[in-house]
Amino acid sequence: MDLGNPAFWLFVAVIAGIYGIMALGLYVQFSLAGLPNFGHVAFMAVAAYAMAILVVRYDAPLVLAGLAGLVAAVILALVMGLPALRLRADYLAIATVAGGEIVRYLAMNLPDLTGGPIGSIGMLGPGNIAMFNGGWQAFLDAIRAALGRLLGPVPTRDAVMAALVWASLVVLIALVHRLERSPWGRVERGIREDETAVIAAGKNVVAFKMQALVLGAILGGLAGILLALEIGVFSPDDYSPTLTFYAYLILILGGMNRAWAIPLGAVLFSLLYSGTRFLNFFPLSLFDSGSRAFLRLFLVGALLVAFMAFRPQGVLGNRQQLLLEK
Amino acid sequence: MLLSVSGLTKSFGGVRAVDDVSFDVAEGSLTALIGPNGAGKTTAFNLISGFIRPDHGSVRFAGKPIAGRRGDVVARHGLVRMFQTPRVLTRMTVLENVMLAAPDQPGERLAMPLLMPRRVRRREAEIRARATGLIELLRLGPLSNAFAGTLSGGQRKLLELGRALIAEPRMILLDEPMAGVAPVLAGELLGHIRTLRAERGVTVFLIEHGMDVVMSISERVIVMDEGRVIADGTPAAVQASERVIEAYLGRAQSPAVAP
Repeated sequence: MDLGNPAFWLFVAVIAGIYGIMALGLYVQFSLAGLPNFGHVAFMAVAAYAMAILVVRYDAPLVLAGLAGLVAAVILALVMGLPALRLRADYLAIATVAGGEIVRYLAMNLPDLTGGPIGSIGMLGPGNIAMFNGGWQAFLDAIRAALGRLLGPVPTRDAVMAALVWASLVVLIALVHRLERSPWGRVERGIREDETAVIAAGKNVVAFKMQALVLGAILGGLAGILLALEIGVFSPDDYSPTLTFYAYLILILGGMNRAWAIPLGAVLFSLLYSGTRFLNFFPLSLFDSGSRAFLRLFLVGALLVAFMAFRPQGVLGNRQQLLLEK
Repeated sequence: MLLSVSGLTKSFGGVRAVDDVSFDVAEGSLTALIGPNGAGKTTAFNLISGFIRPDHGSVRFAGKPIAGRRGDVVARHGLVRMFQTPRVLTRMTVLENVMLAAPDQPGERLAMPLLMPRRVRRREAEIRARATGLIELLRLGPLSNAFAGTLSGGQRKLLELGRALIAEPRMILLDEPMAGVAPVLAGELLGHIRTLRAERGVTVFLIEHGMDVVMSISERVIVMDEGRVIADGTPAAVQASERVIEAYLGRAQSPAVAP
């Protein structure tokens, strides 16, 4: 692959924007309300599967299928949250880790519905190739044609997609930022600091935690749907727990306590993740390409550790606030 | 009676931490709950304020049964508690800490800040004004925009008092307000508790170990030992009670049993 290829970087930009939306969902849950969600990927998976199944098997229009995907993510949040949110935060961490894996294993083992380990392409059984994003590509093409008439040159699908994704990310961050500074956000931040104190202040803490979990699930579900539409196929392996930690990494890189740092975190993460693909010079070229692929994950991990040690507030975060003890 | 507790019981494993406790607290009074360590005072507070569910017994506040209700529901009824170790929201400012506890902010419903920003902003301005007033009153004014995590122990107690007051409670439960507070701040805190009752008519019910404080400010003292109420009356009457002296100092061994 060529470093200078704009098509590649456009694709990276799309993925970075989608990961930004994913991280924003986690921001609402973890940074704002203090809910340790270690199964964020499950919301993405459930939404993507619900959307694809409805399109492929029931010929549902994409808009309805997408909305149904978000509803599925909300239902999953309720199922995980109703028992776990009444308990201490640790139990939510356990419930979400388990929930994420349960979703993945279900997808793997219900081949008639999900296509099993083959993924979305096998949803119609062997011999039939199932595609769910035809409607989306037609939609993108319509925008391209319109832009072409307006501007002259016709932009690529990824260019249109990148613009859509980043515009959504900015609008969604603005909304979350507004909520964070509202009285609702004040209660959520209070819960993050000390749940017991917020109960004593007369707030129904379980209800507030549920709202944060559901809002984060909707954003995670949206990211899952966009990612599925962008790539075109997915399989259970695409929803491994690693993806949740990418979301944490984006929050940590940008700044744990700043919603507006998420785009920066997403870009930094994507540059690292995609950029380390090009670490094929000496002395790294001593490793064969298969080992270098692991080296990349190692470098991402080392960077995470370095950030936690030397700059826990991320690039843009508030250090004083972060270092105060709870 | 503003608060009446009857037959309140709570066991942890085999230990009856609170055992068939009954008492009343009159509206506008300043009542103290005392007793040796492990007597069940804090557990009684937790049961009354809804932070622990009782096994048996009833709690009525302003005529309404509140036993077994959630802590936030009890607080919204006007029975607000404070904690032995102050619980402040460390990574939020002093002002935010106080504003958080204000009642009736429609903006706490998720969609409201986006749908009805004006109504939310109007109420927010009222809350900010009242919170600022309380912070000035508690002499935390210069710290208004500091993170609460930077405050000293005594300042945190004052902040917690401010958070309790903005909820406009009818009754306030204080768990050892003077413990671990520097003498100067303790005096200030005591002054605030007095004015609270005198000027706002708030009923005060407090756990305290400092006997001079208890005897000087409270008009009624309830004494607990081993989960039970062993005395209930004026400070003078309680001080004279043999059961109370026994609980605090131990029983004098009778000469016949002594070797």
